Formats: sequence, structure tokens, C-alpha cells
Amino acid sequence: MSMSEGKDKDKVKMVDLQSLLQETGVNEVLDELDRELVGLAPVKTRIREIASLLVVDKARAALGMEGTRPSLHMCFTGNPGTGKTTVAMRMATILHRLEYVRKGHLVTVTRDDLVGQYIGHTAPKTKEVLKRAMGGVLFIDEAYYLYRPENERDYGQEAIEILMQVMENQRDDLVVIFAGYKARMNTFFQSNPGLGSRVAHHIEFPDYTVDELEKIAETMAAELGLRFSATAREAFGEYLELRRQQPNFANARSVRNALDRARLRQARRLLEAGHVDADMLVTLEDADIRASRVFDESREQVNGGEAAC
Amino acid sequence: MKITQGTFSFLPDLTDDQIKKQIEYALEQGWAVSIEYTDDPHPRNTMWEMWGLPMFDLRDPAGAIGELKECRKLHGDCYIKINGFDSSRGFETMRMSFIAHRPATEAEYRLEREEGPGRTVHYKLQRVYA
Amino acid sequence: MAKTSTSAKEDAGQRTTGNTSKRYQAGVLKYKDMGYWVADYEPTATDIVCLFRITPQEGVDPEEAAAAVAGESSTATWTVVWTDRLTASENYRAKAFDVQPVPGTPGQYFAWIAYALDLFEEGSIANLTASLIGNVFSFKPLKAARLEDMYLPPAYIKTYKGPPTGIVVERERLDKYGRPLLGATVKPKLGLSGKNYGRVVYEALKGGLDFTKDDENINSQPFMHWRDRFLFCMEAVNKAQATSGEIKGHYLNITAGTMEEMYRRAEFARDLGSVIIMVDLIIGWTAIQSISEWARANDMILHMHRAGHGTYTRQKNHGISFRVIAKWLRLAGVDHLHAGTAVGKLEGDPMTVQGYYNVCRDDHLVRDLPRGVFFDMDWAGLRKVMPVASGGIHAGQMHQLLDLFGDDVVLQFGGGTIGHPMGIHAGATANRVALEAMVLARNEGRDILNEGPDILVAAAKTCRPLEAALATWKDVTFNYASTDTSDFVPSASVA
Repeated sequence: MSMSEGKDKDKVKMVDLQSLLQETGVNEVLDELDRELVGLAPVKTRIREIASLLVVDKARAALGMEGTRPSLHMCFTGNPGTGKTTVAMRMATILHRLEYVRKGHLVTVTRDDLVGQYIGHTAPKTKEVLKRAMGGVLFIDEAYYLYRPENERDYGQEAIEILMQVMENQRDDLVVIFAGYKARMNTFFQSNPGLGSRVAHHIEFPDYTVDELEKIAETMAAELGLRFSATAREAFGEYLELRRQQPNFANARSVRNALDRARLRQARRLLEAGHVDADMLVTLEDADIRASRVFDESREQVNGGEAAC
Repeated sequence: MKITQGTFSFLPDLTDDQIKKQIEYALEQGWAVSIEYTDDPHPRNTMWEMWGLPMFDLRDPAGAIGELKECRKLHGDCYIKINGFDSSRGFETMRMSFIAHRPATEAEYRLEREEGPGRTVHYKLQRVYA
Repeated sequence: MAKTSTSAKEDAGQRTTGNTSKRYQAGVLKYKDMGYWVADYEPTATDIVCLFRITPQEGVDPEEAAAAVAGESSTATWTVVWTDRLTASENYRAKAFDVQPVPGTPGQYFAWIAYALDLFEEGSIANLTASLIGNVFSFKPLKAARLEDMYLPPAYIKTYKGPPTGIVVERERLDKYGRPLLGATVKPKLGLSGKNYGRVVYEALKGGLDFTKDDENINSQPFMHWRDRFLFCMEAVNKAQATSGEIKGHYLNITAGTMEEMYRRAEFARDLGSVIIMVDLIIGWTAIQSISEWARANDMILHMHRAGHGTYTRQKNHGISFRVIAKWLRLAGVDHLHAGTAVGKLEGDPMTVQGYYNVCRDDHLVRDLPRGVFFDMDWAGLRKVMPVASGGIHAGQMHQLLDLFGDDVVLQFGGGTIGHPMGIHAGATANRVALEAMVLARNEGRDILNEGPDILVAAAKTCRPLEAALATWKDVTFNYASTDTSDFVPSASVA
């Protein structure tokens, strides 16, 4: 039945898309995502778009039309600590609620889970992972490590071949999400155009702004039962400005590390103080932040290893 | 003559869709699904060949159906059965087992009799090859 | 709380109500005063606890009646005896510690009584029963008494070997999983000669049943000597195995007048290659345990027919509840036990019957009053007994049976197989197809209780024997009020 046939028919068979969406419970997941992750506006927009696409598909099915099951293999690019894994988990739930995947579980792997160490090892290894992931979402972190052209004896290519096959022929059974640094993912897809052409959605996860990082810090601190004093908050803002320009900045993860270090300093400070009250126990002071080496300009240097904290 | 082993042998051969639903049931119960095949369906042969290991972490039948199809390709002349294994206390055994593929010609057995003292007979099953 | 001055040992850890200070002076005392009523006694981890349903005579106080039961099933006699003082008597006294009126039945009471482990010989049901029920049921101050349920501690359970095979190993030996097993008793009950008996077995097994069965009164009569039955049946079993490729069995009844004869028959069954033998309950507890040991030593599945139990299990006010018999049989060691059908021709309310099935099959019993399970009880890893549903059931009830009892059960359709209009083979096929179709549907998630009849009709489309069976028996039900229902929920027999 097409839309152009008889207005009466259309009037009788109307589909309320909003309530259809409501029924699936997807809105709860989207709202939870909004609360859980600070910023990430373009990401959240894209997720809502995908949800809308699938709801429209459901409506088409409800009105008896042929469904066009879209390909939903995705690629998440961005620096570490920008929420890629969290979003992947929520994506799996959303796809399940919209009945795009049957079970909605998430299987997270890296190259080592897919690639074997000797001839004949890779295919069964990759197939095992795929079997486990079927009915849900397969999340491959730092996917570009699958491809090591410089090493002749590398078996990653075999895993790539198997992945491509499944992504093409078993779209009903599995959604694949690749993740990693943007530049390296681009190179990876250029070297493996077959794989790249099967990815329908490329979603960028931008670095957080300092404001957003501060908000994240507040939330994390609250979860730990702590709060920033006014001066501490100011100090932390300065800390973030300095730290994010240094190498190996991992966004939310780096905030978490900084907070942990601040707690240590607070503990030492409190112990020296001797007598403490409830307020002192929960408050991070300016000193707990400024003790970081990041503020010590004379020691600021680029070293490829662990950054100053 | 039909070898009527397995849970559903008296029904018409199961379609892949019916097989999928049975695997779904096994997964819901938390059982590990495995595939075995043999060309020797003697009733005392309880150890068929394993097609891969039991699939312990499966969430969806698709993976198992894929394996079944692979097994059929390679061992289409064998009997193939699908099992569900329950590792919980009080069981620790198979809870489901049914034939998912039969060879083009069914195996046949003939009863061999060896007469003993009195009127006793000792029996053996001998495979008959057409 | 008066403490006696006669024995310091007696006071240790025990509080009593009732006046025990004159305990050992000659004369007749109330049982309550002799220490058999201990109001807030907490059973220890090794105590056995019995739940009796007692109907005291008019004028007899329920606590006194309970104390009397405790006394008469342990150390008391009707008058004080000085020789009691040669013993650590408080250890051997059973302790009645709680009495509750039975809901809805005036004059009837539940009485809980605890027994110390020392009272019992290890691994002997004969001793257990002689102790608990040997004396007290004839006791005049009680109008009626029933042993309703028992709690057995792991310390006691571990003195038994339990079922020689158990559900798990039985299935592994038969290589059959995922569905109930099917059986049938050979009919007519009496009169067939060995060869013709074997024919019935062959047709039924070939048609699709897993087992056929001797009836309880088939032992060795003028019309058929046991050896001939065994010979012809094993021919039938082996022929059926060859045509089907499945393991088949016939429960050869080895019940006889003496143990020696029973062993002879069991050995012959083994030598002929049978996987299973059968005995009747009336052989007695000692014989049952002996045969159980033999079965284990000879890789034989042991089927128990509960012949005669109805004489003492059926009336609610007097006798022994079948759930206690089932517990004793699991300890003594049987692999199959007739436990009721709920929907067939023999007595059994559905909830109560499910309670019996739980006693047989659970690793850990959970207190469930509507099903008549009064105690949480762990079976300490004792193997599980396969319940058998036998008596007036037919293929048209398959959905009810599967829903009530699950997979681990033997469904026996005697008349329902042999009485099939198209013959025994067809009867067996009808049952097997009905069962497999129902299991398939249940696994697919269908509501078999409501859709059952439709599922059977659909399966009958490709199975004429099933079609004929449904047409012949579709209106057969056994709808009488059960005599033994739970006190805790109103329930009717299943239509």
C-alpha cells in the first residue's frame, strides 16, 4: 500500500511516531546518555538521528510497507577518554529497543582478541568472537592495529577478511563499531577500502572543552563524596588549561587521574593537620591541586612516557 | 528404517527455523550449545565426534546455525546432532539433544543372535551396509 | 522452670515445662512431666524432626498427646522405670516442641517432634521406621495419627548410598535428553504367556516407547514362569533396539517370596542384558536396600512400584503420607518411583503430587505448604529419583502432564497404548509423536496449557495413529474429589 492511495486509507492508518518511540523506551536511554555524558553534542545528535531513522522504518513496517533495513556499521573517532565505549554501550541498548539487533549485548575486543599467533589460529579466534557478538554489537577498539603491512607474518589481514564477509552477509546478525584515533582510522580505511565502504556512519568524538572538563570533574568528585573549594575550583581550571596542551591527554580519564592524585594530597594534608571535621574531610583545597608538577614550569618538558600529573 | 535417536526424531525433520528456536530455548536456559556428528549411530555409541568446542558464551542462535551449516557442508553424509549442556549443580549433564541432519541413506542394523545355555541368547547389533 | 535435683547432667542445655522433679519416683506420670514435651526446644543440626498429624481422644490435651507420641516413639513406657537412670536418658527422649491446630479441622493437630541422631542406626530404613512408627500408631490415647512429613539432616542422609543410578546417569545410559521418558505396562494384567507377552513388548517398543513394564502382581504364576517372561522380553527389547537404533528397556519384575529367589531373578535379568529391573514396595525395607546395593553393583536401573501404599497413604487422618515414603525410598535407593499422575485414574491432587515429585527430584527441598512440603531440607547431594506417572493417562492429556511435571518423569500409558484402535504399535507412536510435538512447542515458547489441544491436532495431521487416539479418548477424564489435599490451599482435581 503506497502513501498516494486514497486519503481515507491514510487517515485510518496513521502512525504516531512519537508514541512509537515512547513505547520502545529509547527515550529513557537517550535521556540517560544526556545526563551521563557531558557535551558531545554532535554525537548525541547523530544518535537521535539514527533512532529516528529506525523508528521511521518501524512505522513503514506498521503500515505494511517493505522495510529497508539500513546498514548501521559505525566508526567512532576521537582521543581517549571522550566517551566512545560508553556511547557504544548505550548504542547497543538503543538498537535492541528499536529491534534492530536481537539481544543488545556489547562485546568489546581489540586486535589481540581477533588475531592469532600462528597459522590457522586467526580464523577460529575471529569466528568465536563473532559468534559471541551475534545478536548484539561488536566494538573493536584501536581497530587499525589489525593491519600491520610492515610485518609479513601478520595474520590481521585474515581477521579483516572474515569481518568484511560478516559485515556484508550477516547484517541482520551483527553491528560492528570500530573505534580509535581519527588520523589512524583514516589511514586504516584507506588501506582497506572494502572495510571502509561498509561503514555507514562515521562519528567524531571531539575533545572536551575546559568548561566541560570542569563539569566532569565536579560530577566525578561528587561521586567520590568530595567537593572543590572555590579556590580549588579555580586552580583546577588552570590545571586543565595547562594539562590538555601536554601530550597523552586522555580527557575524562585524565580528569579522573588528576582527581585521584588530589585525593592523595588531601589525605596527606589532613593527616598533618591532625584534627579534622566533616567539612575538611570532604573538601579539596587549592593546595591539593597546585602541588601538581604541571604547575611547575621549569619541569615542563615533552617526554613520550607518562605525563606529569 | 529410521534411527529415532534424539528428542524430535518422531516428528518430520526440523527446518532450520525450528532448529533455531530450539537453540534459542537452550540459550535461555543458560545451556552451552554444541554440535556433534557421526557415521556410526549404534545405540551404545554415546561419543560422537565433536564439531568444535561447546559454545559457552553464545547469546544468539545465529552463531550456532552458522556452525551447523559448516558441519553439514563437510559431513553431509553423517548424522549431526545439536546438544544443550547444563553445568549447574544437580545436573552437570546434557539437557537437550536432537538430530539436526541425517545422511541421505539411514543406517541399518541387524540383530545377531548367539545361543547360550538353556534358552538364553546373547545379542549384538551388526551394521548392515547396503 | 523447675530443675530436677536428681541429675546435674539432665539440666545441661535443656529447659522444660512440666514438672520433672518427681521424675523417677515409681508410678504413672503424664508424658509431659516425663520430659517429652519441651516447649521451646530448638532442633540441633543433627536432629531428625517428624511432623505428626494427631487426633487425640476426647479429653486428651494436645500437648500431652504430642508428648505421648514423642515418648512412645522413643524411650517411654506407661509407667516410670528405675532403669532409665542407668542411661543418659535425656539424650534418647524424643522432644515434642510444638503443637498447632490443623486449619479447618477441629480436633486435629500438627505436632513437631525432634529425635537425636543417636537413636538411629546408620543406613537402615528398617531401624528408622521401627523406631518412629513401630509403636505409636496403635496407641490408645490417639484416635488417629499420621506421619505427615520428616526432616532429615545431612548427618543422617550421608549414612545412605541413595539411588544406585539416579536421573542424570539414567539419561546418560539411555542417551535420551530433553523430554519425558515413555513407558507402558503390559496389559492384560494377568494371563498372557511369555511369548505373547513378549509380542506386546516388541510392538510397544518398536512403536516408539522407551520402556515397557511388568505389572506389580506379575511375578511367576502358572500362566507364565518368570524365566520365560525374561527370555521373550529381552528378545523383544533387542529386536526393537535394532529397528530403532535407540536403547530400549523392559522393567523385569524380580519380586519373589525370598531374597534368595530375588537375587536369582536379578542375576538372570543382568545376564540377559537388561538395563533395568523392578521391585514392588511390599518386599519390605530391608529387601529394598539389599536389592538397591545389588543394582548399583550390577549397573542396573531400579524401578520401584509403590504397590500397597494406598492402604496407609491415602487417608489424611491416619497412616503415613506418601511424601515420607518417597523420602525413605530415596534414601533406601531406588531410581524410578511411581509418584502419581494428578490427572489419571488413581488418587492424587495436583499440588500434593507435585510435592512428591519435588521430594524425588530436588537437590534442596523448599518449604511449600500448598504442596505439602513442610520442611526446608537439603538432600546432601543424594542422587535424584525419576518419578513415574502411571494410571489412566492418555495422549490427549500430554500438555497437562508436561506442564505439571516437566521433563524428568516417566509417563506410562498402559491402556493408552495397548487399547489403541489401530493396535499397540500405533498406540506407542501416537504417544511418542504427541510428546515430541508438545516438547517442541513448549521450547518454542508456546503456552502449552492453553494451546495443547491445538498442538496435538496439528501433530495428528501427519500422524494417523495420533489422530485415532485423540478421537477415541478425547472425552476421558477422571474427575473425583481427592481425599488427600493440602490443608493450606483449596484445590480441585484437574479435569
